Amino acid sequence: MITRFLGKSLLVFCAACVLVPLLWTLMNAFKVNADLLTPVPQFFFDPTFENITYVLSRQSVFGALYNSLIICLSAVGLGLVLGLPAAYAIARNPNRITQEIQFFVLSLRFLPPVAVAIPFMVIWLNLGMYDTRWSMIITYSLITISITIWLSIPGFQQVPKEIEEAARVDGYGPYAVFAKVALPVAMKSLLGALAFSFVLVWNEFMLALMLTTSDAKTLPIVASEMSQQGLNVPWGILNAAVVLLSIPPLLLLGLLSSFLNRSFAQKNR
Amino acid sequence: MNRRSSLPYTFLIPTVALLAILALTPTIYALNVSFTDRTLFSSSSNYIGFENYIDLLSDRRFVNSAYVSLKWEIMTVTTTMIMAVGLGVLMFECASPKMRNLYCLIFLIPVLLPRVCAAFVWKFAFHPLYGIVTYPYRAITGQPLDLLADPTTALMVVGFVDVWQWGFFFAVIIVKLLESLPPQPIEAARLDNAKPWQIHFYVTIPMLKAPLISLALVKAIESLRSFDLIYVMTRGGPGIATETLDMYAFSQGFIEAGKIGYASSIAVIMLLTTIITFTIIWKRVNK
Repeated sequence: MITRFLGKSLLVFCAACVLVPLLWTLMNAFKVNADLLTPVPQFFFDPTFENITYVLSRQSVFGALYNSLIICLSAVGLGLVLGLPAAYAIARNPNRITQEIQFFVLSLRFLPPVAVAIPFMVIWLNLGMYDTRWSMIITYSLITISITIWLSIPGFQQVPKEIEEAARVDGYGPYAVFAKVALPVAMKSLLGALAFSFVLVWNEFMLALMLTTSDAKTLPIVASEMSQQGLNVPWGILNAAVVLLSIPPLLLLGLLSSFLNRSFAQKNR
Repeated sequence: MNRRSSLPYTFLIPTVALLAILALTPTIYALNVSFTDRTLFSSSSNYIGFENYIDLLSDRRFVNSAYVSLKWEIMTVTTTMIMAVGLGVLMFECASPKMRNLYCLIFLIPVLLPRVCAAFVWKFAFHPLYGIVTYPYRAITGQPLDLLADPTTALMVVGFVDVWQWGFFFAVIIVKLLESLPPQPIEAARLDNAKPWQIHFYVTIPMLKAPLISLALVKAIESLRSFDLIYVMTRGGPGIATETLDMYAFSQGFIEAGKIGYASSIAVIMLLTTIITFTIIWKRVNK
């Protein structure tokens, strides 16, 4: 009984370890520096919207938000168009060649980001495409395509073969079976896979740091630069930027959690 | 599937070709640049053979960064796995299914946060004068506590943030794995009056050996992406105490010297080491 109580308290403590720092950051985004930079943490204060309005009114933040959205959504789009069909082909034709392809796709994740970033920088400079959204989309599509393939193979494998057979008997060709049967049936897991690839590129930092300087800067880069303005770090503004940057991935929390549940529930059977 | 269908070819060839181009071009390019003395400021360069690699061997900062990277890998992978197994078992034993779902949702948050955000959240929490984590120490001793400026603790603090992001996530996966196990062996052990920790230590964890090894491998691969955390929290400092290989390559190529050729040779060494190591391990594990 006592151990059970201790275990439960430990769990509550762990949940607090996750939530308290985040709520603290959220609170700090609404504090003026006088409330923020105190030796004793302040839990009661007059909330201010200065930090948030400052962040949102900055041209650089707005530009970076726009860049991030365009670049990440386009890269995820490329992952969808090129990755999903490939995943379907691998899932439906298990043989040595597709196994090797699957491993090749996975091994792309072994590439250290520096080893990709430095040569890509030289390549984009030589092509005159350095610091453009196009170069970022193409670079990121390497991430999104491979992750989309890797995560949607199980989704396609779970589509019952009988349904596809039935559609074929009804006169559907292989492409129609993919588009009209497999895709809609596997839709929920595929959405989870795409959401994962979006979070990965939205959070990506090193490639963006090395491949952009002004025009194509993404939001993580601009947020990290806010700590470099002058000698005093503007912590309130920084916290507001952190909150803004964290919103999109957290909006996908529910979708990703049910994706995890589904992929493990299936192994059960 | 109809064997004469063209579908596998039309679906696979363009994607695989594009991925191969996108992955091989930079790799070959990096290899090529690593044999030159190319700098950031001039586009002309000469081939200098293996000079960059020979210089690396006698470069103490390079040796240091390789050591820091190795420490980082071992530290983050082992702590993440220990914490994830412990917390996963705890959730499985002590939380009702309803609470378990709530905890799983909460524990998924840290890994979804952009690493830049996680780094800033904790950098401020560890602030020597105003941080909430250092507050108890300040209140008791009246002294500031600057863990990020101390060479012995800086890497641990950054590692803590990494484990905070991944440990909770892996705990969620482990609890799902425990739920997917067949209940009979656990019931049998319970009838034999085994204590909960005995059940997990002797029955469930051994049953999950294969997925746990895969998880550790995934963590080892993801731990290679430590750059954003270190860049935001310490920039490799104090001194070179938290300078990993990618941080060193970055500062050689972009901040201090602009020696792209030299930085590329570091990148090539990292590339070869990780690809060879992980390919061997992965193939052996998934036989």
